[in-house]
Amino acid sequence: MASRVSSKGKGKAARGSRGSDGRSTARCVKTWSTWAMKKAKVITHYGFIPLIIIIGMNSEPKPQLSQLLSPV
Amino acid sequence: MGSSVSHAATLPPPPPPPPAVGLTGVLPPKTEEKGETKVDWLNLPCPVPFEEIQREALMSLKPELFEGLRFDFTKGLNQKFSLSHSVFMGSMEVPSQSSDTIKVPTAHYEFGANFLDPKLMLVGRVLTDGRLNARVKCDLTDNLTLKINAQLTNEPHFSQGMFNFDYKGKDYRSQFQVGNNAFYGANYIQSVSPHLSLGSEVFWLGHQRKSGIGFAARYNTDKMVATGQVASTGIVALSYVQKVSEKVSLASDFMYNHMTRDVTSSFGYDYILRQCRLRGKIDSTGCVAAYLEERLNMGVNFILSAEIDHRKKDYKFGFGMTVGE
Repeated sequence: MASRVSSKGKGKAARGSRGSDGRSTARCVKTWSTWAMKKAKVITHYGFIPLIIIIGMNSEPKPQLSQLLSPV
Repeated sequence: MGSSVSHAATLPPPPPPPPAVGLTGVLPPKTEEKGETKVDWLNLPCPVPFEEIQREALMSLKPELFEGLRFDFTKGLNQKFSLSHSVFMGSMEVPSQSSDTIKVPTAHYEFGANFLDPKLMLVGRVLTDGRLNARVKCDLTDNLTLKINAQLTNEPHFSQGMFNFDYKGKDYRSQFQVGNNAFYGANYIQSVSPHLSLGSEVFWLGHQRKSGIGFAARYNTDKMVATGQVASTGIVALSYVQKVSEKVSLASDFMYNHMTRDVTSSFGYDYILRQCRLRGKIDSTGCVAAYLEERLNMGVNFILSAEIDHRKKDYKFGFGMTVGE
Protein backbone atom coordinates (compact mmCIF):
# COMPACT_ATOMS: atom_id res chain seq x y z
CA MET A 1 0.00 0.00 0.00
CA ALA A 2 2.83 2.42 0.83
CA SER A 3 4.46 1.94 -2.55
CA ARG A 4 1.13 2.46 -4.27
CA VAL A 5 0.56 5.76 -2.46
CA SER A 6 4.06 7.03 -3.24
CA SER A 7 3.79 6.12 -6.92
CA LYS A 8 0.45 7.90 -7.03
CA GLY A 9 2.11 11.01 -5.61
CA LYS A 10 5.05 10.83 -8.03
CA GLY A 11 2.70 10.28 -10.97
CA LYS A 12 0.70 13.35 -10.03
CA ALA A 13 3.74 15.56 -9.65
CA ALA A 14 5.36 14.39 -12.88
CA ARG A 15 2.34 14.76 -15.08
CA GLY A 16 1.18 17.98 -13.58
CA SER A 17 -2.16 19.16 -14.89
CA ARG A 18 -2.25 16.86 -17.94
CA GLY A 19 -5.47 14.96 -17.22
CA SER A 20 -4.28 14.17 -13.69
CA ASP A 21 -7.89 14.08 -12.47
CA GLY A 22 -8.83 11.47 -15.06
CA ARG A 23 -5.85 9.31 -14.18
CA SER A 24 -6.40 9.45 -10.45
CA THR A 25 -10.09 8.51 -10.76
CA ALA A 26 -9.17 5.62 -13.02
CA ARG A 27 -6.59 4.51 -10.52
CA CYS A 28 -9.11 4.91 -7.69
CA VAL A 29 -11.64 2.82 -9.57
CA LYS A 30 -9.01 0.16 -10.21
CA THR A 31 -7.92 0.09 -6.56
CA TRP A 32 -11.47 -0.14 -5.27
CA SER A 33 -12.49 -2.78 -7.79
CA THR A 34 -9.45 -4.89 -6.90
CA TRP A 35 -10.34 -4.56 -3.21
CA ALA A 36 -13.95 -5.52 -3.98
CA MET A 37 -12.87 -8.53 -6.00
CA LYS A 38 -10.59 -9.71 -3.20
CA LYS A 39 -13.39 -9.42 -0.65
CA ALA A 40 -15.85 -11.12 -3.01
CA LYS A 41 -13.41 -13.98 -3.51
CA VAL A 42 -13.02 -14.55 0.23
CA ILE A 43 -16.77 -14.33 0.81
CA THR A 44 -17.47 -16.77 -2.01
CA HIS A 45 -14.77 -19.14 -0.84
CA TYR A 46 -16.20 -19.44 2.65
CA GLY A 47 -19.84 -18.80 2.00
CA PHE A 48 -20.79 -20.61 -1.21
CA ILE A 49 -21.36 -24.06 0.22
CA PRO A 50 -23.24 -22.74 3.31
CA LEU A 51 -25.37 -20.70 0.91
CA ILE A 52 -26.32 -23.79 -1.06
CA ILE A 53 -27.10 -25.65 2.15
CA ILE A 54 -29.30 -22.84 3.43
CA ILE A 55 -31.17 -22.56 0.14
CA GLY A 56 -31.57 -26.32 0.02
CA MET A 57 -32.80 -26.68 3.59
CA ASN A 58 -35.42 -24.03 2.93
CA SER A 59 -36.77 -25.54 -0.27
CA GLU A 60 -39.96 -27.60 -0.29
CA PRO A 61 -40.35 -30.27 1.12
CA LYS A 62 -38.17 -29.16 4.01
CA PRO A 63 -35.63 -31.81 4.95
CA GLN A 64 -34.74 -32.44 8.57
CA LEU A 65 -31.49 -31.29 10.09
CA SER A 66 -30.68 -34.87 11.11
CA GLN A 67 -30.80 -35.88 7.45
CA LEU A 68 -28.10 -33.36 6.75
CA LEU A 69 -25.65 -34.88 9.20
CA SER A 70 -26.38 -38.60 9.13
CA PRO A 71 -24.87 -40.77 6.40
CA VAL A 72 -28.05 -42.71 5.66
CA MET B 1 -79.11 -58.07 -62.49
CA GLY B 2 -79.63 -54.89 -60.70
CA SER B 3 -79.15 -56.22 -57.23
CA SER B 4 -75.81 -57.87 -57.99
CA VAL B 5 -74.56 -54.71 -59.72
CA SER B 6 -75.59 -52.64 -56.76
CA HIS B 7 -73.90 -55.14 -54.47
CA ALA B 8 -70.72 -54.99 -56.52
CA ALA B 9 -70.85 -51.21 -56.64
CA THR B 10 -71.15 -50.84 -52.91
CA LEU B 11 -67.91 -52.41 -51.84
CA PRO B 12 -67.90 -53.95 -48.43
CA PRO B 13 -66.28 -51.67 -45.89
CA PRO B 14 -62.53 -52.26 -45.70
CA PRO B 15 -61.54 -54.64 -42.92
CA PRO B 16 -60.35 -52.88 -39.77
CA PRO B 17 -56.55 -52.51 -39.61
CA PRO B 18 -54.86 -55.30 -37.67
CA PRO B 19 -54.33 -54.43 -34.04
CA ALA B 20 -50.99 -52.76 -33.53
CA VAL B 21 -48.43 -55.25 -32.35
CA GLY B 22 -45.59 -54.29 -30.08
CA LEU B 23 -43.81 -51.08 -30.90
CA THR B 24 -45.83 -50.18 -33.97
CA GLY B 25 -48.71 -49.30 -31.70
CA VAL B 26 -46.55 -47.06 -29.56
CA LEU B 27 -44.38 -45.20 -32.07
CA PRO B 28 -45.96 -42.55 -34.29
CA PRO B 29 -46.59 -43.73 -37.84
CA LYS B 30 -43.63 -43.26 -40.15
CA THR B 31 -44.08 -40.14 -42.20
CA GLU B 32 -42.64 -39.96 -45.71
CA GLU B 33 -39.62 -37.98 -44.72
CA LYS B 34 -37.11 -39.21 -47.20
CA GLY B 35 -36.51 -35.93 -49.00
CA GLU B 36 -40.16 -35.25 -49.65
CA THR B 37 -40.92 -32.66 -46.97
CA LYS B 38 -40.12 -29.13 -47.94
CA VAL B 39 -37.58 -27.44 -45.73
CA ASP B 40 -39.19 -24.67 -43.73
CA TRP B 41 -36.38 -22.14 -43.86
CA LEU B 42 -38.04 -19.88 -41.37
CA ASN B 43 -38.47 -22.54 -38.73
CA LEU B 44 -35.05 -24.06 -38.31
CA PRO B 45 -34.26 -25.88 -35.09
CA CYS B 46 -32.20 -24.23 -32.40
CA PRO B 47 -28.58 -25.35 -32.61
CA VAL B 48 -26.58 -26.85 -29.76
CA PRO B 49 -24.51 -24.40 -27.72
CA PHE B 50 -21.14 -23.56 -29.24
CA GLU B 51 -19.10 -25.23 -26.54
CA GLU B 52 -21.09 -28.43 -26.95
CA ILE B 53 -20.59 -28.67 -30.64
CA GLN B 54 -18.42 -31.75 -30.23
CA ARG B 55 -20.27 -33.18 -27.28
CA GLU B 56 -21.10 -36.58 -28.76
CA ALA B 57 -17.49 -37.15 -29.71
CA LEU B 58 -16.24 -35.93 -26.34
CA MET B 59 -18.68 -38.12 -24.44
CA SER B 60 -17.56 -41.19 -26.32
CA LEU B 61 -13.85 -40.52 -26.64
CA LYS B 62 -12.96 -38.73 -23.43
CA PRO B 63 -14.35 -40.49 -20.39
CA GLU B 64 -13.00 -39.43 -17.01
CA LEU B 65 -10.13 -41.87 -16.75
CA PHE B 66 -8.47 -42.05 -13.37
CA GLU B 67 -5.87 -44.06 -11.51
CA GLY B 68 -6.53 -45.40 -8.06
CA LEU B 69 -9.61 -45.71 -5.94
CA ARG B 70 -12.66 -43.54 -6.31
CA PHE B 71 -15.76 -43.61 -4.17
CA ASP B 72 -18.68 -41.22 -4.66
CA PHE B 73 -21.70 -41.10 -2.46
CA THR B 74 -24.61 -38.84 -3.32
CA LYS B 75 -27.34 -38.44 -0.78
CA GLY B 76 -30.53 -36.76 -1.81
CA LEU B 77 -32.39 -34.93 0.90
CA ASN B 78 -35.00 -33.52 -1.34
CA GLN B 79 -36.07 -33.52 -4.96
CA LYS B 80 -33.84 -30.53 -5.56
CA PHE B 81 -31.17 -30.64 -2.88
CA SER B 82 -28.45 -33.26 -2.40
CA LEU B 83 -25.12 -33.63 -0.71
CA SER B 84 -22.21 -35.59 -2.05
CA HIS B 85 -19.16 -37.12 -0.42
CA SER B 86 -16.31 -38.30 -2.55
CA VAL B 87 -13.04 -40.03 -1.69
CA PHE B 88 -10.12 -40.41 -4.05
CA MET B 89 -6.84 -42.20 -3.37
CA GLY B 90 -4.39 -42.59 -6.17
CA SER B 91 -1.92 -40.87 -8.41
CA MET B 92 -2.61 -37.69 -10.26
CA GLU B 93 -0.50 -36.67 -13.14
CA VAL B 94 1.41 -33.42 -12.93
CA PRO B 95 2.17 -31.79 -16.26
CA SER B 96 5.90 -31.74 -16.87
CA GLN B 97 8.12 -30.26 -19.54
CA SER B 98 10.10 -33.42 -20.19
CA SER B 99 8.57 -36.46 -21.79
CA ASP B 100 8.49 -38.37 -18.50
CA THR B 101 5.21 -38.41 -16.69
CA ILE B 102 5.34 -37.26 -13.12
CA LYS B 103 2.78 -38.87 -10.88
CA VAL B 104 2.02 -37.52 -7.46
CA PRO B 105 0.20 -39.77 -5.02
CA THR B 106 -2.75 -37.87 -3.62
CA ALA B 107 -5.66 -38.64 -1.40
CA HIS B 108 -8.51 -36.29 -0.84
CA TYR B 109 -12.03 -36.07 0.41
CA GLU B 110 -14.45 -33.81 -1.35
CA PHE B 111 -17.70 -32.55 0.06
CA GLY B 112 -20.29 -31.18 -2.27
CA ALA B 113 -23.74 -29.69 -2.23
CA ASN B 114 -26.09 -29.46 -5.20
CA PHE B 115 -29.25 -27.50 -5.58
CA LEU B 116 -31.10 -28.17 -8.82
CA ASP B 117 -34.13 -26.14 -9.71
CA PRO B 118 -35.51 -25.65 -13.22
CA LYS B 119 -34.48 -22.01 -13.02
CA LEU B 120 -31.45 -22.10 -10.75
CA MET B 121 -28.69 -24.62 -10.42
CA LEU B 122 -25.99 -24.34 -7.75
CA VAL B 123 -23.21 -26.88 -7.50
CA GLY B 124 -20.36 -26.52 -5.06
CA ARG B 125 -17.49 -28.86 -4.22
CA VAL B 126 -14.85 -28.27 -1.61
CA LEU B 127 -11.71 -30.35 -1.15
CA THR B 128 -9.68 -31.03 1.96
CA ASP B 129 -6.96 -28.64 0.84
CA GLY B 130 -9.41 -25.78 0.65
CA ARG B 131 -10.06 -25.62 -3.06
CA LEU B 132 -13.60 -24.73 -4.04
CA ASN B 133 -15.27 -25.57 -7.35
CA ALA B 134 -18.41 -23.57 -7.83
CA ARG B 135 -20.91 -23.65 -10.67
CA VAL B 136 -23.98 -21.51 -10.91
CA LYS B 137 -26.54 -21.54 -13.70
CA CYS B 138 -29.40 -19.13 -13.50
CA ASP B 139 -32.18 -18.48 -16.02
CA LEU B 140 -32.64 -14.75 -15.87
CA THR B 141 -35.39 -14.77 -18.46
CA ASP B 142 -36.73 -17.39 -20.86
CA ASN B 143 -33.91 -16.83 -23.30
CA LEU B 144 -31.10 -15.35 -21.23
CA THR B 145 -29.01 -17.55 -18.97
CA LEU B 146 -26.16 -16.63 -16.68
CA LYS B 147 -23.53 -19.26 -15.93
CA ILE B 148 -20.70 -18.81 -13.47
CA ASN B 149 -17.80 -21.22 -13.14
CA ALA B 150 -15.13 -20.69 -10.53
CA GLN B 151 -12.20 -22.53 -8.98
CA LEU B 152 -11.02 -20.76 -5.88
CA THR B 153 -7.88 -21.74 -4.02
CA ASN B 154 -6.19 -20.62 -0.87
CA GLU B 155 -3.02 -19.73 -2.72
CA PRO B 156 -3.15 -16.25 -4.15
CA HIS B 157 -3.27 -15.73 -7.90
CA PHE B 158 -4.31 -19.29 -8.64
CA SER B 159 -8.04 -18.80 -8.63
CA GLN B 160 -10.05 -18.76 -11.81
CA GLY B 161 -13.51 -17.59 -12.59
CA MET B 162 -15.66 -17.18 -15.65
CA PHE B 163 -19.00 -15.49 -16.22
CA ASN B 164 -21.04 -16.53 -19.26
CA PHE B 165 -24.13 -14.81 -20.57
CA ASP B 166 -26.05 -16.99 -23.02
CA TYR B 167 -28.81 -15.77 -25.24
CA LYS B 168 -30.94 -18.29 -27.08
CA GLY B 169 -32.78 -17.07 -30.13
CA LYS B 170 -35.15 -18.94 -32.41
CA ASP B 171 -32.51 -20.54 -34.55
CA TYR B 172 -29.31 -19.14 -33.12
CA ARG B 173 -27.42 -18.92 -29.87
CA SER B 174 -24.93 -16.34 -28.75
CA GLN B 175 -22.71 -16.20 -25.71
CA PHE B 176 -20.54 -13.59 -24.07
CA GLN B 177 -17.83 -14.60 -21.61
CA VAL B 178 -15.87 -12.61 -19.06
CA GLY B 179 -13.11 -14.30 -17.13
CA ASN B 180 -10.23 -13.53 -14.82
CA ASN B 181 -6.91 -12.44 -16.27
CA ALA B 182 -9.02 -10.01 -18.33
CA PHE B 183 -10.42 -12.72 -20.58
CA TYR B 184 -13.25 -11.71 -22.86
CA GLY B 185 -14.87 -14.01 -25.35
CA ALA B 186 -17.95 -14.17 -27.51
CA ASN B 187 -19.38 -16.83 -29.71
CA TYR B 188 -22.32 -17.21 -32.01
CA ILE B 189 -23.87 -20.22 -33.69
CA GLN B 190 -26.64 -20.26 -36.27
CA SER B 191 -28.68 -23.01 -37.90
CA VAL B 192 -28.47 -22.64 -41.66
CA SER B 193 -30.37 -25.77 -42.54
CA PRO B 194 -32.23 -28.43 -40.57
CA HIS B 195 -29.01 -30.41 -40.31
CA LEU B 196 -26.19 -27.88 -40.59
CA SER B 197 -25.18 -25.19 -38.16
CA LEU B 198 -22.25 -22.82 -38.40
CA GLY B 199 -20.65 -20.85 -35.62
CA SER B 200 -17.73 -18.65 -34.81
CA GLU B 201 -15.99 -17.35 -31.72
CA VAL B 202 -13.56 -14.61 -30.80
CA PHE B 203 -11.60 -14.16 -27.63
CA TRP B 204 -9.24 -11.65 -26.12
CA LEU B 205 -6.82 -12.41 -23.31
CA GLY B 206 -5.88 -9.14 -21.66
CA HIS B 207 -2.91 -10.14 -19.56
CA GLN B 208 -1.04 -11.77 -22.37
CA ARG B 209 -2.40 -9.56 -25.11
CA LYS B 210 -3.53 -12.54 -27.13
CA SER B 211 -6.60 -12.69 -29.27
CA GLY B 212 -8.04 -15.35 -31.46
CA ILE B 213 -10.89 -16.19 -33.73
CA GLY B 214 -12.32 -19.56 -34.61
CA PHE B 215 -14.97 -21.11 -36.83
CA ALA B 216 -16.97 -24.26 -36.36
CA ALA B 217 -19.46 -26.26 -38.34
CA ARG B 218 -21.70 -29.10 -37.27
CA TYR B 219 -23.69 -31.39 -39.50
CA ASN B 220 -25.97 -33.84 -37.78
CA THR B 221 -28.68 -36.24 -38.75
CA ASP B 222 -30.35 -38.90 -36.67
CA LYS B 223 -27.56 -41.31 -37.35
CA MET B 224 -24.40 -39.28 -37.44
CA VAL B 225 -22.75 -36.10 -36.31
CA ALA B 226 -19.81 -34.52 -38.08
CA THR B 227 -18.09 -31.42 -36.75
CA GLY B 228 -15.13 -29.34 -37.75
CA GLN B 229 -13.39 -26.53 -35.92
CA VAL B 230 -10.64 -24.21 -37.01
CA ALA B 231 -9.02 -21.62 -34.77
CA SER B 232 -6.46 -18.90 -35.35
CA THR B 233 -4.35 -20.43 -32.57
CA GLY B 234 -3.47 -22.97 -35.24
CA ILE B 235 -5.75 -25.79 -34.19
CA VAL B 236 -7.88 -27.80 -36.57
CA ALA B 237 -10.22 -30.32 -34.96
CA LEU B 238 -12.54 -32.66 -36.80
CA SER B 239 -14.79 -35.32 -35.38
CA TYR B 240 -17.28 -37.84 -36.64
CA VAL B 241 -19.73 -39.93 -34.64
CA GLN B 242 -21.88 -42.62 -36.20
CA LYS B 243 -24.76 -44.12 -34.31
CA VAL B 244 -24.68 -47.68 -35.52
CA SER B 245 -27.67 -48.76 -33.46
CA GLU B 246 -29.56 -47.73 -30.32
CA LYS B 247 -26.86 -49.25 -28.17
CA VAL B 248 -23.69 -48.75 -30.13
CA SER B 249 -21.98 -45.69 -31.46
CA LEU B 250 -18.57 -45.26 -32.99
CA ALA B 251 -16.61 -42.05 -32.84
CA SER B 252 -13.44 -40.74 -34.35
CA ASP B 253 -11.52 -37.57 -33.82
CA PHE B 254 -8.66 -35.76 -35.51
CA MET B 255 -6.67 -32.84 -34.18
CA TYR B 256 -3.87 -30.91 -35.81
CA ASN B 257 -1.86 -28.22 -34.04
CA HIS B 258 -0.07 -26.03 -36.51
CA MET B 259 2.22 -24.38 -33.96
CA THR B 260 3.67 -27.56 -32.56
CA ARG B 261 3.08 -29.68 -35.69
CA ASP B 262 1.23 -32.20 -33.55
CA VAL B 263 -1.24 -34.56 -35.12
CA THR B 264 -3.45 -36.79 -33.03
CA SER B 265 -6.28 -38.96 -34.07
CA SER B 266 -8.33 -41.39 -32.07
CA PHE B 267 -11.02 -43.89 -32.69
CA GLY B 268 -13.45 -45.19 -30.12
CA TYR B 269 -16.65 -47.00 -29.40
CA ASP B 270 -19.44 -46.47 -26.93
CA TYR B 271 -21.74 -49.31 -25.95
CA ILE B 272 -24.74 -48.21 -23.90
CA LEU B 273 -26.29 -51.44 -22.69
CA ARG B 274 -28.97 -52.06 -20.15
CA GLN B 275 -26.70 -52.77 -17.21
CA CYS B 276 -23.49 -51.14 -18.24
CA ARG B 277 -21.82 -48.53 -20.35
CA LEU B 278 -18.52 -49.43 -21.95
CA ARG B 279 -16.33 -46.95 -23.76
CA GLY B 280 -13.02 -47.75 -25.36
CA LYS B 281 -10.63 -45.88 -27.56
CA ILE B 282 -7.33 -46.18 -29.30
CA ASP B 283 -5.10 -43.26 -30.10
CA SER B 284 -2.47 -42.49 -32.66
CA THR B 285 -0.05 -41.77 -29.78
CA GLY B 286 -0.16 -45.45 -28.93
CA CYS B 287 -2.61 -45.05 -26.07
CA VAL B 288 -5.41 -47.53 -25.47
CA ALA B 289 -8.08 -46.77 -22.91
CA ALA B 290 -11.31 -48.27 -21.66
CA TYR B 291 -13.93 -47.20 -19.14
CA LEU B 292 -16.68 -49.39 -17.78
CA GLU B 293 -19.62 -48.36 -15.64
CA GLU B 294 -21.61 -51.33 -14.45
CA ARG B 295 -24.90 -50.99 -12.70
CA LEU B 296 -24.92 -53.49 -9.87
CA ASN B 297 -28.13 -52.40 -8.26
CA MET B 298 -30.46 -49.44 -8.24
CA GLY B 299 -28.19 -46.47 -7.67
CA VAL B 300 -24.98 -48.50 -7.19
CA ASN B 301 -22.47 -48.33 -10.00
CA PHE B 302 -19.12 -50.03 -10.24
CA ILE B 303 -16.49 -48.27 -12.31
CA LEU B 304 -13.33 -49.62 -13.94
CA SER B 305 -10.91 -47.42 -15.78
CA ALA B 306 -7.80 -48.45 -17.70
CA GLU B 307 -5.35 -46.49 -19.77
CA ILE B 308 -2.24 -47.99 -21.30
CA ASP B 309 0.21 -45.69 -23.00
CA HIS B 310 2.60 -47.90 -24.88
CA ARG B 311 4.88 -45.12 -26.04
CA LYS B 312 5.51 -43.61 -22.62
CA LYS B 313 5.16 -46.95 -20.82
CA ASP B 314 2.57 -45.46 -18.51
CA TYR B 315 -0.06 -47.86 -17.18
CA LYS B 316 -3.03 -46.52 -15.25
CA PHE B 317 -5.73 -48.66 -13.72
CA GLY B 318 -8.48 -47.47 -11.48
CA PHE B 319 -11.57 -48.82 -9.85
CA GLY B 320 -14.38 -47.21 -7.98
CA MET B 321 -17.93 -47.20 -6.84
CA THR B 322 -20.68 -44.64 -7.16
CA VAL B 323 -23.59 -44.83 -4.76
CA GLY B 324 -26.64 -42.68 -5.20
CA GLU B 325 -28.24 -41.09 -8.20
